[in-house]
Amino acid sequence: MALNFFDQFMTPIYMGIPLITLATLMPRLTFLQPTSQWTTSRFSTLQSQLLNSSTYQLFAPLSPKSHHWALLIVSLMIFLITINLLGLLPYTFTPTTQLSFNMAFALPAWLATVIIGLRTQPTHAFAHLLPESTPPLLIPILIIIETISLLIRPLALGVRLTANLTAGHLLIQLISTAMFTMIHTIPLMAMLTGTLLLLLSILEIAVAMIQAYVFVLLLSLYLQENM
Amino acid sequence: GLVQASRGLHTSSQCLAPMPPMPEHGGKVRHGIFPEELFQLLYPKTGVTECSNITFSLFYMLGTGLLVYLLSKEIYVINHETYAGLAMLSVIVYGVKKFGPQVAAYADQLNDEKLAKAQVVKDLTLNSMTESIENEKKEQWRTEGRSLLFDAKRNNVAMLLETNYRERLHMVTNEVKRRLDYHVALQNLKRRMEQEHMINWVEMSVVSTISPQPEKESITKCISDLKALAKTSQAKATV
Repeated sequence: MALNFFDQFMTPIYMGIPLITLATLMPRLTFLQPTSQWTTSRFSTLQSQLLNSSTYQLFAPLSPKSHHWALLIVSLMIFLITINLLGLLPYTFTPTTQLSFNMAFALPAWLATVIIGLRTQPTHAFAHLLPESTPPLLIPILIIIETISLLIRPLALGVRLTANLTAGHLLIQLISTAMFTMIHTIPLMAMLTGTLLLLLSILEIAVAMIQAYVFVLLLSLYLQENM
Repeated sequence: GLVQASRGLHTSSQCLAPMPPMPEHGGKVRHGIFPEELFQLLYPKTGVTECSNITFSLFYMLGTGLLVYLLSKEIYVINHETYAGLAMLSVIVYGVKKFGPQVAAYADQLNDEKLAKAQVVKDLTLNSMTESIENEKKEQWRTEGRSLLFDAKRNNVAMLLETNYRERLHMVTNEVKRRLDYHVALQNLKRRMEQEHMINWVEMSVVSTISPQPEKESITKCISDLKALAKTSQAKATV
Protein backbone atom coordinates (compact mmCIF):
# COMPACT_ATOMS: atom_id res chain seq x y z
CA MET A 1 0.00 0.00 0.00
CA ALA A 2 1.93 2.98 -1.31
CA LEU A 3 0.65 5.51 1.12
CA ASN A 4 1.79 9.05 0.70
CA PHE A 5 1.60 10.84 4.01
CA PHE A 6 1.18 14.17 2.27
CA ASP A 7 -2.07 13.17 0.60
CA GLN A 8 -3.94 14.54 3.60
CA PHE A 9 -2.69 18.02 2.69
CA MET A 10 -3.87 17.88 -0.91
CA THR A 11 -6.67 20.33 -1.60
CA PRO A 12 -9.86 18.25 -1.42
CA ILE A 13 -11.62 17.52 -4.69
CA TYR A 14 -14.54 15.12 -4.86
CA MET A 15 -15.64 13.95 -8.28
CA GLY A 16 -14.20 17.05 -9.82
CA ILE A 17 -15.83 19.50 -7.38
CA PRO A 18 -13.30 21.42 -5.32
CA LEU A 19 -14.34 21.34 -1.67
CA ILE A 20 -11.87 23.85 -0.30
CA THR A 21 -14.57 26.51 0.14
CA LEU A 22 -16.72 24.08 2.08
CA ALA A 23 -13.80 23.01 4.22
CA THR A 24 -13.02 26.64 5.01
CA LEU A 25 -16.55 27.77 5.73
CA MET A 26 -17.96 24.70 7.48
CA PRO A 27 -16.33 25.40 10.87
CA ARG A 28 -18.45 28.56 11.03
CA LEU A 29 -21.44 26.28 11.60
CA THR A 30 -20.03 25.08 14.88
CA PHE A 31 -20.60 28.34 16.69
CA LEU A 32 -23.94 29.78 17.67
CA GLN A 33 -25.61 32.86 16.36
CA PRO A 34 -26.16 35.41 19.15
CA THR A 35 -29.81 35.21 20.24
CA SER A 36 -32.16 37.86 21.47
CA GLN A 37 -32.69 35.90 24.67
CA TRP A 38 -31.43 37.56 27.79
CA THR A 39 -30.36 34.45 29.72
CA THR A 40 -28.85 32.24 27.04
CA SER A 41 -28.12 28.54 26.96
CA ARG A 42 -24.88 27.23 28.50
CA PHE A 43 -23.09 26.94 25.18
CA SER A 44 -24.06 30.44 24.14
CA THR A 45 -23.04 31.87 27.51
CA LEU A 46 -19.65 30.17 27.36
CA GLN A 47 -19.10 31.30 23.78
CA SER A 48 -19.84 34.94 24.57
CA GLN A 49 -17.70 34.70 27.70
CA LEU A 50 -14.81 33.33 25.63
CA LEU A 51 -15.15 36.06 23.04
CA ASN A 52 -15.44 38.84 25.60
CA SER A 53 -12.52 37.66 27.73
CA SER A 54 -10.22 37.11 24.74
CA THR A 55 -11.13 40.51 23.29
CA TYR A 56 -10.38 42.15 26.61
CA GLN A 57 -7.10 40.31 27.04
CA LEU A 58 -5.89 41.09 23.54
CA PHE A 59 -6.90 44.72 23.47
CA ALA A 60 -6.32 45.89 27.05
CA PRO A 61 -2.70 46.94 26.41
CA LEU A 62 -3.55 48.62 23.12
CA SER A 63 -4.41 52.26 22.60
CA PRO A 64 -8.10 53.05 22.02
CA LYS A 65 -7.39 53.95 18.40
CA SER A 66 -6.46 50.35 17.62
CA HIS A 67 -9.71 49.02 19.07
CA HIS A 68 -11.13 49.32 15.56
CA TRP A 69 -9.18 46.16 14.78
CA ALA A 70 -10.99 44.18 17.49
CA LEU A 71 -13.56 42.60 15.18
CA LEU A 72 -10.96 41.56 12.62
CA ILE A 73 -8.53 40.09 15.09
CA VAL A 74 -10.96 38.24 17.35
CA SER A 75 -12.92 36.81 14.44
CA LEU A 76 -9.64 35.68 12.90
CA MET A 77 -8.76 33.97 16.17
CA ILE A 78 -12.07 32.11 16.41
CA PHE A 79 -11.80 31.16 12.74
CA LEU A 80 -8.33 29.70 13.18
CA ILE A 81 -9.17 27.90 16.43
CA THR A 82 -12.22 26.16 14.98
CA ILE A 83 -10.42 25.20 11.77
CA ASN A 84 -7.45 23.82 13.68
CA LEU A 85 -9.56 21.86 16.17
CA LEU A 86 -11.84 20.36 13.56
CA GLY A 87 -8.82 19.32 11.51
CA LEU A 88 -7.74 16.99 14.30
CA LEU A 89 -10.62 14.63 13.59
CA PRO A 90 -9.85 11.79 11.17
CA TYR A 91 -10.62 12.10 7.49
CA THR A 92 -10.78 15.90 7.63
CA PHE A 93 -8.91 18.54 5.71
CA THR A 94 -7.31 21.44 7.58
CA PRO A 95 -7.00 24.54 5.43
CA THR A 96 -4.44 26.05 7.78
CA THR A 97 -1.90 23.41 6.77
CA GLN A 98 -1.60 25.25 3.45
CA LEU A 99 1.04 27.96 3.43
CA SER A 100 -0.89 30.00 0.88
CA PHE A 101 -3.88 30.09 3.24
CA ASN A 102 -1.89 31.37 6.19
CA MET A 103 0.16 33.84 4.18
CA ALA A 104 -3.10 35.29 2.89
CA PHE A 105 -3.90 36.27 6.50
CA ALA A 106 -0.42 37.16 7.69
CA LEU A 107 0.91 39.32 4.86
CA PRO A 108 -1.94 41.84 4.43
CA ALA A 109 -2.42 42.27 8.18
CA TRP A 110 1.29 42.81 8.83
CA LEU A 111 1.60 45.16 5.87
CA ALA A 112 -1.39 47.13 7.13
CA THR A 113 0.23 47.64 10.54
CA VAL A 114 3.52 48.76 8.97
CA ILE A 115 1.83 51.21 6.61
CA ILE A 116 -0.29 52.63 9.44
CA GLY A 117 2.84 53.09 11.52
CA LEU A 118 4.72 54.81 8.71
CA ARG A 119 1.83 57.07 7.86
CA THR A 120 0.72 58.24 11.32
CA GLN A 121 3.96 58.23 13.32
CA PRO A 122 6.94 57.61 10.98
CA THR A 123 9.59 58.65 13.47
CA HIS A 124 8.24 56.33 16.12
CA ALA A 125 7.98 53.49 13.58
CA PHE A 126 11.59 53.94 12.47
CA ALA A 127 12.68 54.20 16.08
CA HIS A 128 11.64 50.58 16.56
CA LEU A 129 14.49 49.58 14.28
CA LEU A 130 17.00 50.41 17.00
CA PRO A 131 16.63 49.03 20.52
CA GLU A 132 17.43 51.30 23.44
CA SER A 133 20.92 51.71 24.82
CA THR A 134 22.89 49.88 22.14
CA PRO A 135 26.62 50.56 21.93
CA PRO A 136 27.29 53.06 19.09
CA LEU A 137 29.58 50.64 17.28
CA LEU A 138 26.79 48.12 16.75
CA ILE A 139 24.20 50.59 15.43
CA PRO A 140 24.63 50.00 11.64
CA ILE A 141 24.62 46.23 12.00
CA LEU A 142 21.68 46.32 14.36
CA ILE A 143 19.59 48.45 12.04
CA ILE A 144 20.13 46.00 9.22
CA ILE A 145 19.25 43.10 11.50
CA GLU A 146 16.13 44.80 12.79
CA THR A 147 15.01 45.64 9.26
CA ILE A 148 15.42 42.05 8.19
CA SER A 149 13.50 40.93 11.29
CA LEU A 150 10.75 43.39 10.43
CA LEU A 151 10.48 42.17 6.83
CA ILE A 152 10.50 38.53 7.82
CA ARG A 153 7.54 38.89 10.20
CA PRO A 154 4.76 37.93 7.76
CA LEU A 155 6.74 34.92 6.61
CA ALA A 156 7.31 33.94 10.22
CA LEU A 157 3.65 34.30 11.08
CA GLY A 158 2.46 32.22 8.16
CA VAL A 159 5.13 29.57 8.35
CA ARG A 160 4.79 29.18 12.12
CA LEU A 161 1.13 28.26 11.85
CA THR A 162 1.62 26.08 8.77
CA ALA A 163 4.62 24.24 10.15
CA ASN A 164 3.08 23.55 13.54
CA LEU A 165 -0.10 22.15 12.16
CA THR A 166 1.50 20.22 9.35
CA ALA A 167 4.02 18.70 11.69
CA GLY A 168 1.33 17.75 14.16
CA HIS A 169 -0.82 16.10 11.52
CA LEU A 170 2.13 14.25 10.06
CA LEU A 171 3.14 12.96 13.47
CA ILE A 172 -0.35 11.71 14.16
CA GLN A 173 -0.39 9.96 10.81
CA LEU A 174 3.02 8.40 11.33
CA ILE A 175 2.39 7.13 14.83
CA SER A 176 -1.04 5.76 13.98
CA THR A 177 0.45 4.02 10.93
CA ALA A 178 3.11 2.50 13.14
CA MET A 179 0.45 1.32 15.57
CA PHE A 180 -1.67 -0.02 12.72
CA THR A 181 1.25 -1.95 11.27
CA MET A 182 2.49 -3.37 14.57
CA ILE A 183 -0.79 -4.39 16.14
CA HIS A 184 -0.79 -7.78 14.42
CA THR A 185 2.89 -8.53 14.99
CA ILE A 186 3.91 -6.96 18.35
CA PRO A 187 0.70 -5.94 20.16
CA LEU A 188 2.61 -4.75 23.24
CA MET A 189 4.60 -2.23 21.22
CA ALA A 190 1.38 -1.25 19.52
CA MET A 191 -0.16 -0.52 22.92
CA LEU A 192 2.80 1.62 23.89
CA THR A 193 2.52 3.42 20.60
CA GLY A 194 -1.18 3.83 21.34
CA THR A 195 -0.34 5.55 24.61
CA LEU A 196 2.03 7.83 22.72
CA LEU A 197 -0.75 8.54 20.26
CA LEU A 198 -3.08 9.50 23.12
CA LEU A 199 -0.56 11.94 24.53
CA LEU A 200 0.12 13.32 21.10
CA SER A 201 -3.58 13.92 20.59
CA ILE A 202 -3.71 15.94 23.79
CA LEU A 203 -0.68 17.90 22.63
CA GLU A 204 -2.19 18.53 19.22
CA ILE A 205 -5.38 19.88 20.74
CA ALA A 206 -3.31 22.27 22.83
CA VAL A 207 -1.10 23.26 19.89
CA ALA A 208 -4.11 23.92 17.68
CA MET A 209 -5.53 26.42 20.15
CA ILE A 210 -2.22 27.96 21.13
CA GLN A 211 -1.02 28.52 17.56
CA ALA A 212 -4.18 30.37 16.62
CA TYR A 213 -3.89 32.53 19.74
CA VAL A 214 -0.20 33.23 19.10
CA PHE A 215 -0.88 34.27 15.51
CA VAL A 216 -3.44 36.76 16.66
CA LEU A 217 -1.40 37.91 19.66
CA LEU A 218 1.58 38.73 17.47
CA LEU A 219 -0.62 40.67 15.10
CA SER A 220 -1.95 42.69 18.03
CA LEU A 221 1.63 43.31 19.17
CA TYR A 222 2.62 44.59 15.73
CA LEU A 223 -0.44 46.79 15.90
CA GLN A 224 0.53 48.08 19.32
CA GLU A 225 3.97 48.98 18.05
CA ASN A 226 2.68 50.97 15.16
CA MET A 227 -0.47 52.66 16.44
CA GLY B 1 -44.26 37.29 27.77
CA LEU B 2 -41.30 39.14 26.40
CA VAL B 3 -41.99 40.99 23.17
CA GLN B 4 -39.37 41.12 20.43
CA ALA B 5 -37.83 44.56 20.14
CA SER B 6 -37.28 44.21 16.40
CA ARG B 7 -41.01 44.28 15.70
CA GLY B 8 -42.57 47.64 15.06
CA LEU B 9 -45.73 48.67 16.82
CA HIS B 10 -48.90 47.47 15.07
CA THR B 11 -47.29 47.46 11.62
CA SER B 12 -48.21 43.91 10.62
CA SER B 13 -49.66 40.70 11.96
CA GLN B 14 -47.43 39.22 14.62
CA CYS B 15 -44.93 36.74 13.24
CA LEU B 16 -42.38 36.58 16.08
CA ALA B 17 -44.32 35.03 18.90
CA PRO B 18 -43.47 35.99 22.47
CA MET B 19 -40.29 34.02 23.29
CA PRO B 20 -41.13 30.74 25.00
CA PRO B 21 -39.43 30.24 28.35
CA MET B 22 -36.16 28.34 28.22
CA PRO B 23 -36.25 24.72 29.41
CA GLU B 24 -34.62 23.93 32.75
CA HIS B 25 -32.48 21.04 31.47
CA GLY B 26 -31.15 20.20 28.03
CA GLY B 27 -32.58 17.31 26.04
CA LYS B 28 -31.72 13.83 27.33
CA VAL B 29 -29.14 12.03 25.17
CA ARG B 30 -27.85 8.49 25.09
CA HIS B 31 -24.11 7.94 24.59
CA GLY B 32 -23.65 11.68 24.34
CA ILE B 33 -25.00 12.01 20.81
CA PHE B 34 -28.32 10.25 20.20
CA PRO B 35 -31.39 12.02 21.62
CA GLU B 36 -33.58 9.91 23.87
CA GLU B 37 -36.66 10.71 21.78
CA LEU B 38 -35.16 8.67 18.94
CA PHE B 39 -35.43 5.51 21.00
CA GLN B 40 -38.98 6.27 21.98
CA LEU B 41 -40.23 6.74 18.41
CA LEU B 42 -41.51 3.19 17.99
CA TYR B 43 -42.81 2.65 21.53
CA PRO B 44 -46.44 3.27 20.44
CA LYS B 45 -46.10 0.58 17.79
CA THR B 46 -44.06 -2.04 19.63
CA GLY B 47 -45.01 -1.48 23.26
CA VAL B 48 -42.66 -1.04 26.20
CA THR B 49 -41.36 -3.79 28.50
CA GLU B 50 -38.47 -3.86 30.93
CA CYS B 51 -36.07 -5.30 28.35
CA SER B 52 -37.15 -3.14 25.45
CA ASN B 53 -34.51 -0.57 26.41
CA ILE B 54 -31.34 -2.21 25.12
CA THR B 55 -31.60 -5.89 24.32
CA PHE B 56 -34.32 -5.87 21.72
CA SER B 57 -34.24 -2.15 20.98
CA LEU B 58 -34.62 -1.67 17.26
CA PHE B 59 -32.10 1.12 16.96
CA TYR B 60 -29.41 -0.84 18.75
CA MET B 61 -30.05 -3.68 16.32
CA LEU B 62 -29.87 -1.23 13.44
CA GLY B 63 -26.67 0.31 14.76
CA THR B 64 -24.92 -2.99 15.36
CA GLY B 65 -26.02 -4.35 12.01
CA LEU B 66 -24.94 -1.27 10.17
CA LEU B 67 -21.53 -1.23 11.81
CA VAL B 68 -20.93 -4.92 11.11
CA TYR B 69 -22.08 -4.47 7.51
CA LEU B 70 -19.74 -1.52 6.93
CA LEU B 71 -16.79 -3.38 8.45
CA SER B 72 -17.33 -6.75 6.82
CA LYS B 73 -17.92 -5.38 3.35
CA GLU B 74 -14.95 -3.05 3.82
CA ILE B 75 -17.05 -0.06 2.93
CA TYR B 76 -15.36 1.47 5.96
CA VAL B 77 -11.72 0.34 5.82
CA ILE B 78 -9.85 0.14 9.11
CA ASN B 79 -6.59 1.96 8.54
CA HIS B 80 -4.21 4.16 10.50
CA GLU B 81 -6.74 6.96 10.69
CA THR B 82 -9.07 4.69 12.63
CA TYR B 83 -6.54 4.52 15.42
CA ALA B 84 -5.90 8.25 15.24
CA GLY B 85 -9.65 8.81 15.42
CA LEU B 86 -9.99 6.40 18.34
CA ALA B 87 -7.24 8.20 20.24
CA MET B 88 -8.83 11.59 19.59
CA LEU B 89 -12.27 10.26 20.50
CA SER B 90 -11.03 8.87 23.80
CA VAL B 91 -9.34 12.19 24.63
CA ILE B 92 -12.57 14.05 23.84
CA VAL B 93 -14.72 11.67 25.87
CA TYR B 94 -12.33 11.83 28.80
CA GLY B 95 -12.30 15.61 28.65
CA VAL B 96 -16.08 15.88 28.52
CA LYS B 97 -16.63 13.39 31.32
CA LYS B 98 -14.05 14.95 33.60
CA PHE B 99 -14.52 18.66 32.98
CA GLY B 100 -18.11 18.69 31.75
CA PRO B 101 -19.81 19.30 35.12
CA GLN B 102 -17.31 22.03 36.04
CA VAL B 103 -17.79 23.86 32.78
CA ALA B 104 -21.56 23.54 33.06
CA ALA B 105 -21.41 24.88 36.63
CA TYR B 106 -19.30 27.81 35.42
CA ALA B 107 -21.79 28.63 32.67
CA ASP B 108 -24.64 28.39 35.17
CA GLN B 109 -22.73 30.64 37.54
CA LEU B 110 -22.29 33.27 34.83
CA ASN B 111 -26.00 33.21 34.10
CA ASP B 112 -26.86 33.29 37.80
CA GLU B 113 -24.64 36.31 38.35
CA LYS B 114 -26.43 38.11 35.54
CA LEU B 115 -29.79 37.21 37.06
CA ALA B 116 -28.63 38.21 40.54
CA LYS B 117 -27.60 41.66 39.32
CA ALA B 118 -31.00 42.21 37.80
CA GLN B 119 -32.65 40.80 40.91
CA VAL B 120 -30.77 43.29 43.08
CA VAL B 121 -32.09 46.15 41.00
CA LYS B 122 -35.58 44.71 41.14
CA ASP B 123 -35.45 44.20 44.91
CA LEU B 124 -34.13 47.72 45.42
CA THR B 125 -36.92 49.19 43.36
CA LEU B 126 -39.52 47.05 45.12
CA ASN B 127 -38.20 48.08 48.53
CA SER B 128 -38.20 51.74 47.67
CA MET B 129 -41.72 51.43 46.33
CA THR B 130 -42.98 49.67 49.47
CA GLU B 131 -41.31 52.33 51.60
CA SER B 132 -42.92 55.12 49.67
CA ILE B 133 -46.30 53.38 49.97
CA GLU B 134 -45.88 53.20 53.73
CA ASN B 135 -44.82 56.84 53.87
CA GLU B 136 -47.88 57.79 51.87
CA LYS B 137 -50.16 55.85 54.23
CA LYS B 138 -48.52 57.59 57.17
CA GLU B 139 -49.10 60.95 55.58
CA GLN B 140 -52.73 60.03 55.04
CA TRP B 141 -53.06 59.06 58.69
CA ARG B 142 -51.46 62.35 59.66
CA THR B 143 -54.01 64.33 57.69
CA GLU B 144 -56.79 62.71 59.74
CA GLY B 145 -55.55 64.42 62.83
CA ARG B 146 -55.43 67.73 61.02
CA SER B 147 -58.59 69.09 62.69
CA LEU B 148 -57.24 68.25 66.15
CA LEU B 149 -54.07 70.06 65.28
CA PHE B 150 -55.94 73.10 64.09
CA ASP B 151 -58.15 73.14 67.19
CA ALA B 152 -55.11 73.00 69.41
CA LYS B 153 -53.52 75.80 67.46
CA ARG B 154 -56.67 77.85 67.62
CA ASN B 155 -56.86 77.31 71.37
CA ASN B 156 -53.27 78.38 71.69
CA VAL B 157 -53.86 81.53 69.78
CA ALA B 158 -57.02 82.33 71.76
CA MET B 159 -55.16 81.82 75.01
CA LEU B 160 -52.40 84.10 73.91
CA LEU B 161 -54.87 86.78 72.93
CA GLU B 162 -56.74 86.40 76.19
CA THR B 163 -53.54 86.60 78.19
CA ASN B 164 -52.48 89.66 76.34
CA TYR B 165 -55.83 91.27 76.86
CA ARG B 166 -55.81 90.57 80.58
CA GLU B 167 -52.31 91.88 80.92
CA ARG B 168 -53.31 95.11 79.31
CA LEU B 169 -56.41 95.29 81.48
CA HIS B 170 -54.28 94.88 84.57
CA MET B 171 -51.94 97.51 83.35
CA VAL B 172 -54.77 99.95 82.79
CA THR B 173 -56.23 99.25 86.22
CA ASN B 174 -52.87 99.74 87.86
CA GLU B 175 -52.25 102.99 86.11
CA VAL B 176 -55.67 104.36 87.00
CA LYS B 177 -55.27 103.23 90.62
CA ARG B 178 -51.92 104.97 90.76
CA ARG B 179 -53.29 108.21 89.60
CA LEU B 180 -56.30 108.01 91.97
CA ASP B 181 -54.00 107.05 94.87
CA TYR B 182 -51.96 110.10 94.08
CA HIS B 183 -54.96 112.32 94.33
CA VAL B 184 -56.13 110.60 97.54
CA ALA B 185 -52.71 110.95 99.08
CA LEU B 186 -52.65 114.54 98.05
CA GLN B 187 -56.00 115.17 99.73
CA ASN B 188 -54.92 113.35 102.91
CA LEU B 189 -51.77 115.33 103.04
CA LYS B 190 -53.64 118.54 102.61
CA ARG B 191 -56.09 117.61 105.40
CA ARG B 192 -53.32 116.59 107.74
CA MET B 193 -51.46 119.76 107.11
CA GLU B 194 -54.58 121.77 107.74
CA GLN B 195 -55.14 119.88 111.02
CA GLU B 196 -51.61 120.33 112.19
CA HIS B 197 -51.65 123.92 111.26
CA MET B 198 -54.93 124.42 113.14
CA ILE B 199 -53.60 122.54 116.18
CA ASN B 200 -50.47 124.56 116.18
CA TRP B 201 -52.42 127.72 115.81
CA VAL B 202 -54.79 126.78 118.63
CA GLU B 203 -51.87 125.75 120.85
CA MET B 204 -50.13 128.92 120.11
CA SER B 205 -53.14 131.05 120.87
CA VAL B 206 -53.86 129.12 124.07
CA VAL B 207 -50.28 129.29 125.21
CA SER B 208 -50.21 132.96 124.49
CA THR B 209 -53.34 133.54 126.60
CA ILE B 210 -52.09 131.52 129.55
CA SER B 211 -50.29 133.75 132.17
CA PRO B 212 -47.91 132.23 134.67
CA GLN B 213 -50.24 132.43 137.70
CA PRO B 214 -53.30 130.65 136.34
CA GLU B 215 -50.89 128.10 134.89
CA LYS B 216 -49.48 127.24 138.33
CA GLU B 217 -52.96 127.04 139.84
CA SER B 218 -54.21 124.77 137.11
CA ILE B 219 -51.16 122.51 137.45
CA THR B 220 -51.74 122.07 141.27
CA LYS B 221 -55.37 121.40 140.67
CA CYS B 222 -54.47 118.78 138.06
CA ILE B 223 -52.12 117.08 140.43
CA SER B 224 -54.74 116.92 143.23
CA ASP B 225 -57.28 115.56 140.74
CA LEU B 226 -54.82 112.95 139.62
CA LYS B 227 -54.19 111.86 143.23
CA ALA B 228 -57.86 111.55 143.87
CA LEU B 229 -58.28 109.52 140.70
CA ALA B 230 -55.40 107.31 141.70
CA LYS B 231 -56.99 106.61 145.07
CA THR B 232 -60.33 105.75 143.48
CA SER B 233 -58.71 103.47 140.92
CA GLN B 234 -56.66 101.68 143.63
CA ALA B 235 -59.85 101.20 145.58
CA LYS B 236 -61.53 99.79 142.50
CA ALA B 237 -58.65 97.50 141.86
CA THR B 238 -58.73 96.04 145.40
CA VAL B 239 -62.44 95.47 145.05
